[in-house]
Amino acid sequence: MLTQSQYENYKLVCRLEHMKALYSSIKAICFSDFGTLHASEDGILITVEQGKSIQATLCIAPAFFAEFKVDGTPSFSVKINVLAECLSLFGLSDCSIKILYKGEGAPLLLLLEPHDDDQVSTECSIKTTNVEEQIDYDLDANSSSLNTIFMRGPDLSNIFHELDKAADEFEFTISPLKPHFKITTLGVMQAESSVEVAKSSDMVILFNCRATTVARYKSQQIKLTNKAMQVASKVAIKTDGSGLLEMHFMMQCDDQEELYVRFFITPLLEVDGN
Amino acid sequence: MKFHAKMLDVLYMREFQAIAATLAKLAKECVMLVAQEQMHLIVNEEHCSTSSPLVWVSIASKDYFPEYQMTPARPEHDLIVLVMSAMHLSRALAVLRSGSSSSVHSCKLELKQIQFPCISVIASVVSPNSSEPREVVHDVPVTVVPPSDWSSYMLPKVPNTQIVLGVPSLRLLRSLIDKLKNISPSFIFHGSTAGELNLVAESEMATITTRFSRLLLHKPDQGQSGAGAETESEIRCSVDTRKASAFFNALQLPNEEIMIGIDSERCICLQLDIRSNVVLHSILPAVCAEI
Repeated sequence: MLTQSQYENYKLVCRLEHMKALYSSIKAICFSDFGTLHASEDGILITVEQGKSIQATLCIAPAFFAEFKVDGTPSFSVKINVLAECLSLFGLSDCSIKILYKGEGAPLLLLLEPHDDDQVSTECSIKTTNVEEQIDYDLDANSSSLNTIFMRGPDLSNIFHELDKAADEFEFTISPLKPHFKITTLGVMQAESSVEVAKSSDMVILFNCRATTVARYKSQQIKLTNKAMQVASKVAIKTDGSGLLEMHFMMQCDDQEELYVRFFITPLLEVDGN
Repeated sequence: MKFHAKMLDVLYMREFQAIAATLAKLAKECVMLVAQEQMHLIVNEEHCSTSSPLVWVSIASKDYFPEYQMTPARPEHDLIVLVMSAMHLSRALAVLRSGSSSSVHSCKLELKQIQFPCISVIASVVSPNSSEPREVVHDVPVTVVPPSDWSSYMLPKVPNTQIVLGVPSLRLLRSLIDKLKNISPSFIFHGSTAGELNLVAESEMATITTRFSRLLLHKPDQGQSGAGAETESEIRCSVDTRKASAFFNALQLPNEEIMIGIDSERCICLQLDIRSNVVLHSILPAVCAEI
């Protein structure tokens, strides 16, 4: 085992007593090959992209960890499914985990110790590669069309579960007037279905909308948020006139926002037909 | 040729069912060697290129079966060798697993000739709302192997190993090896006389080392006398991950400790002491480490 003095050589040291929440969050963003990890005093961001149109970031605040030390702003890429596989080595047994990174070129070390057996420990060393360039998505906070909805996670998950699975595109309408929040699915054969959620609904925690926004998204991309949605306690949906969709999935039951997954999904171009 | 055995203890009957269920998960065919003192069940699909390893269970007949009689075909023989479907045997015994709904009084195994040779599994079951026991009979067709072919059905020998370690966390080991399957096609057992077992799986992207420490060293116990230099060195063997995983996933027995013997670079011998005189063995052959 590593002693305290040896830690000094590490750029990143964090320790977590229970890793279930971390594992399910990483599982939620496991839709691409590589994930990029950025660490700083503000915590850890793990970003995964697919194509140039969807980006998911797992944001972990320093307070989430029992111990968190960072030297500078180390960043690197790892195979995200290998990372998830390593975290689940002991199946359902809860483990404590230590994450260590020495610096450029060094592997990412994970030390897992199951709580129910102190004679067993695992060390995973995962190869890291250089950071890949990423797109900076941002919604304009001052935009007059910035709309924000906070919803309860399990309810939103149920809504998506009941939507047409074969649909090609999803259309999100957010409006200050009725129907407030509407999801329409558009199928290949012109089949349409829609769900409307009134702002007075119990599902809605916060509804902040000034101007109507309508945008369409590829259903495959919306579906990539499924895993995050299933475990989220609270979901924030934000969009503006540009149609860029930002969703936040809070991963903890209590109100602490220490662990959440943020998705950016770009809209489909408007096809007017004329 | 006659064979007849009877079990009365509920615990033993459940255990026997669990053994049959384990074997059924590993292979299609099961060989039953009936000897005077012991009954052996063997599954070996090594030659079929499937991923299950060779597994065999030896049961001391006196302990297990209050009634146990076997008469070989000829007095000079000391064995009856039968081949049957492992799945059929397991299904025939499934009634012994019954929980609270009914209780099983006894279970008989009998070699019979109906239109073909078969092992009759006769369970006497009492339902909760009736005092009369009913008999549940399954006839499992068997092939009687003639003595001329016995040589291919003989009981495997436990290889000589340099080290044997007792690992008490079978559950963890099982889920671990199951996960390693997704990482690398082979992994290495490293044993040390200090009571440590390291499992190392390597792939292009990751190296995973799991350490089991403070294990009970069952062998070498005669090590102090001489072979110091040799036992000091680490003993290692690399095995097929899928094969190992198939073995651990098949286990239906409640035991939590497994004995792992390592014959350096040759094989891993797994031994599960179900109870004294009832032992399950398996051999995982060595493979060339790819990295």
